Amino acid sequence: MPQAAFNDVIKRSFDDLSKRLNGSASGPLHKMREAALKSFIEQGVPTTRHEEWKYANVLPFIGLEYSRVSEIAKSVTEKDIDEALGELVSVLESGWRVTIVNGQFRGDLSYLPAAVTGVSVDVLSDKLIANDEVVRAAYGSVAKSDAHPFVAMNTALACDGVVIRVAKGSEMKRPLHIAIISDARQVNVLTTPRILIVAEEGSEIDIVETHSTIGDQQALDVSVSEIAVGSNAHVRFHKVADDQDDSRHIGYTAATVARDGRFTSHCINIAGNFIRNDLVINLADVGSQAYLYGASVLGGVQFADSHTVVDHAVNNCHSEELYKGIYDGSSIGVFNGKIFVRPQAQKTTAYQSNHSVLLSDKAQVNAKPQLEIWADDVKCSHGATLGQLNDEAIFYLRSRGIDADKARALMTYAFVAEVLEHIDHEGLREFCEKRVASKLGTEPLSL
Amino acid sequence: MTPILQITDLTAGIEDREILKGVSLTVNPGEVHAIMGPNGSGKSTLASVLAGREEYAITGGTVVFRGNDLLELSPEDRARQGMFLAFQYPVEIPGVSTANFLKTSVNELRKFRGQEPLAPAVFLALMRERMKLVEMDQSFLSRSLNEGFSGGEKKRNEIFQMAMLEPILAVLDETDSGLDIDALRIVAGGVNALRTPTTATIIITHYQRLLDYIIPDVVHVLWDGRIVRSGGKELALELEKRGYDWIKQEAAEVA
Ligand SMILES: Nc1ncnc2c1ncn2[C@@H]1O[C@H](COP(=O)(O)OP(=O)(O)OP(=O)(O)O)[C@@H](O)[C@H]1O
Ligand SMILES: [Mg+2]
Repeated sequence: MPQAAFNDVIKRSFDDLSKRLNGSASGPLHKMREAALKSFIEQGVPTTRHEEWKYANVLPFIGLEYSRVSEIAKSVTEKDIDEALGELVSVLESGWRVTIVNGQFRGDLSYLPAAVTGVSVDVLSDKLIANDEVVRAAYGSVAKSDAHPFVAMNTALACDGVVIRVAKGSEMKRPLHIAIISDARQVNVLTTPRILIVAEEGSEIDIVETHSTIGDQQALDVSVSEIAVGSNAHVRFHKVADDQDDSRHIGYTAATVARDGRFTSHCINIAGNFIRNDLVINLADVGSQAYLYGASVLGGVQFADSHTVVDHAVNNCHSEELYKGIYDGSSIGVFNGKIFVRPQAQKTTAYQSNHSVLLSDKAQVNAKPQLEIWADDVKCSHGATLGQLNDEAIFYLRSRGIDADKARALMTYAFVAEVLEHIDHEGLREFCEKRVASKLGTEPLSL
Repeated sequence: MTPILQITDLTAGIEDREILKGVSLTVNPGEVHAIMGPNGSGKSTLASVLAGREEYAITGGTVVFRGNDLLELSPEDRARQGMFLAFQYPVEIPGVSTANFLKTSVNELRKFRGQEPLAPAVFLALMRERMKLVEMDQSFLSRSLNEGFSGGEKKRNEIFQMAMLEPILAVLDETDSGLDIDALRIVAGGVNALRTPTTATIIITHYQRLLDYIIPDVVHVLWDGRIVRSGGKELALELEKRGYDWIKQEAAEVA
């Protein structure tokens, strides 16, 4: 039974952590860890019989031997990180970087806004929880352990997570990059990075979250990011999965949006073996807005599963969602998009669309829009299409001297570019365009 | 003088249905040929076979284009060697702007000829100049190719592409259909401006009207997969007056 073995790994890691913590094992964070561990054991590792995990089979890799991350030497260097991030380093050079290696914040490898007012980065600690009311209220309540087995797992094991606070009214011009690294050079690692972002009233920030594996051993990265978007604040969150071919990532991003706040998310899946992203947005107060963009460009045996939830909890909120995918080889894509409109959420506007193109007979996509609407005075729509490339269009391009492969690349690139064009940060948009184009065998269209 | 195009006894069809039943046609440099004929007679099929549409099976005959076996070539290689088809129904291609599409296309043709890609500024200037030929507005450049274009706009865009690609042989399949009177004049003016002594044009049309503007050297009537009659430009006038029945009758008598 791989589940039982995995539970043991988690329990042992938890015990390890408890010992290592000594005194603070009685603090509030560890109390939460205890509760989360219990919740994780209760929920169990999901199998494909579980509705939400129907296509995401985690059994093949939860049975592996994972070493306890605390044993691993802190040997990751700046150079290793630069190599793992590649071109993204120069793209985000003007910004700040919070580096997390095997779940632990690494100040020595980070570039932090030291003398800058408006944004601060701290390690999640009992002291912070005790002293900071906002952090206390947000941590573990934006992403709840009982809602998701891997949130529970992450909460049970997360230590040295990071809290990013954007102060009231601060419009951050530079992006903040959260570089999450799994160092699997010596042993298999199971990492549990944990991020809390608090964007206070009227603030604005671009966050870029990336996950990179280094080394040839196996890494399983189970991360949770919680984002509290204050009233009138705007958080633009970007998650780029462009990792090693054999990497595995289970990520959970949750945001609550306060009055007239805005949360924009871009999830771009380019490379990695197994990518599961849950994105859960709670439009908690009047006038709040969510924009969800997603693109998957998969090939080979890649798997990417996007589960999104937009919960319209109150009246006069707005959400727009556009997810697209291109699937080649024997890759598998999943889109599950839930929209809840609660009875009191009158005057809701919620739009969702999801479009997929299969480039090969062996590729698969499973798309499921799920709108549950309990209010009557609302405007909601969803549209989903699944298709192959239009042969007529390919012939048209070929008749103009463009060979068949290039014609396909042009069309698939154009298909995905309609998602990427929503990325405001120019450098990041161009980076994504370039990566997507190169994966599709073309170059970004420039006119 | 080597002909640009020489079709001999071409038979082609789809599945087990024969559509072209022995077409022969020679087009020399500098010439304009018109192909007329009733609906369903095989005009677009002939154009598609020339452009290389793969769903049509060639069952017999030969097509020589500039001295080479055309039927051996992929659609893209035909285009690179100077074949151009203005589609009867141009396809909409979402997300690919007209400008980007043309840049790719022009540079593919240049690459084939061993030329460097055009510098962006030069390319833009060329596009602006050639758009004027068909009086197309520059706003079309940034729009997705043919997407949401009106019928007439799509046809103009075909001729604009022709102006950009400078083909050796242009086959215009009902480019006049759906054009208003002014647009017809503009499009015809564009085609005439592109005529050279070394290139040729095949115009597929139902109406004499276009041929008032683009004077053909030869007019052919395609009926039931065969060219049953060829003549000078007066043949088009006669067809306009008398319809196709008399030709069908004559053809039936011969057969
Ligand atoms: N892809 C196809 N599948 C089935 N039948 C076809 C196909 N293409 C052409 N045909 C048939 O072949 C015949 C000739 O068609 P074609 O489009 O070449 O005619 P046309 O002369 O261009 O007619 P029109 O003047 O209406 O444009 C028609 O009967 C048509 O239905
Ligand atoms: Mg036709």
